[in-house]
Amino acid sequence: MESRETSVVTLELGVSWAGEQVTGTRALQREQQLNRFLAETERRALRIAEIAVRDRDDALDLVQEAMIKLARKYGDRPGEEWPPLFYRILQNGIRDWYRRQAVRRRVMVWFGRGSEDDDGYDFVAAAPDPGGRAPDQELANNEAMDSLELAVRALPARQQEAFMLRTFEGLDVAGTAVAMGCSEGSVKTHYSRAIHSLRETLAEHGPAGSGE
Amino acid sequence: MKESHDKFAKQAKALFDESVDRLDAATLSTLNRSRHRALEAASAPTVNWLRWAPVTGVAVAVLVAALLLQPDPVTVDTMPASVTEMEILLGDESIEMLEDLEFYAWIDQLEAGDDVG
Repeated sequence: MESRETSVVTLELGVSWAGEQVTGTRALQREQQLNRFLAETERRALRIAEIAVRDRDDALDLVQEAMIKLARKYGDRPGEEWPPLFYRILQNGIRDWYRRQAVRRRVMVWFGRGSEDDDGYDFVAAAPDPGGRAPDQELANNEAMDSLELAVRALPARQQEAFMLRTFEGLDVAGTAVAMGCSEGSVKTHYSRAIHSLRETLAEHGPAGSGE
Repeated sequence: MKESHDKFAKQAKALFDESVDRLDAATLSTLNRSRHRALEAASAPTVNWLRWAPVTGVAVAVLVAALLLQPDPVTVDTMPASVTEMEILLGDESIEMLEDLEFYAWIDQLEAGDDVG
């Protein structure tokens, strides 16, 4: 009788241990999946944020914040939902960054250390230095990318978001709509206007501008 | 028109991808650290405060209701107002006095009666 009770307890402990192992394995797989997604996305996300806020350190902070929020809040969601959710968090972070900058600028104006229309950004200084390390083609591409970046930055915020999410990140219209928090129709409108505007602006900048 | 738009988008994407590939080692290292921080944050146990919000709300409501609805406490005059707590605490004979509080209260009442009479 006693040995039967012992075996029942042993069996229960075994089942419980096996259950914990399955849960642990699933959690590990989940973490690996999330790690892969973030590793694939982080560099493009950084460049998108950098183009938007014009500062690499701030862009790095924004991307880290987005990664942590995604992992904490949506880590258990299906992997297909991660790209639009991640970019929604990132875009919200970028918008908050703009709000903070606007407040900071107003405060600086109040204390007489700036002017309303001077955003203190030096496009020439911020352009990457080719440093003679690249062949002609790379130099040309660098310059073309610089021109593209400047033109993208000059777009209205929503057009900028739509263009970068659709073109640079490759999200589809539905995913971009989730990331931007708007309808698919709005995404199409913003994207189309962005493309028109960019092509006009870059018309004199060779291949990327002309589309030839 | 759509074709030329698509071509433009492809070229823009190619330029963008090249710029991504040119990211320096220090930046990539920072990104790597950020990713691991995010994964650690995800596995760390977090307290979901919102989950407890309804329970806390009900508890606070019950407490407030209990405080508001309780009947006025019956005040028992055990000590005349002239004997303050500070006097008891500061007095030399405080311990003895605390043992005979009722006696001193009675004396105080008598004296008050004499004053009136």
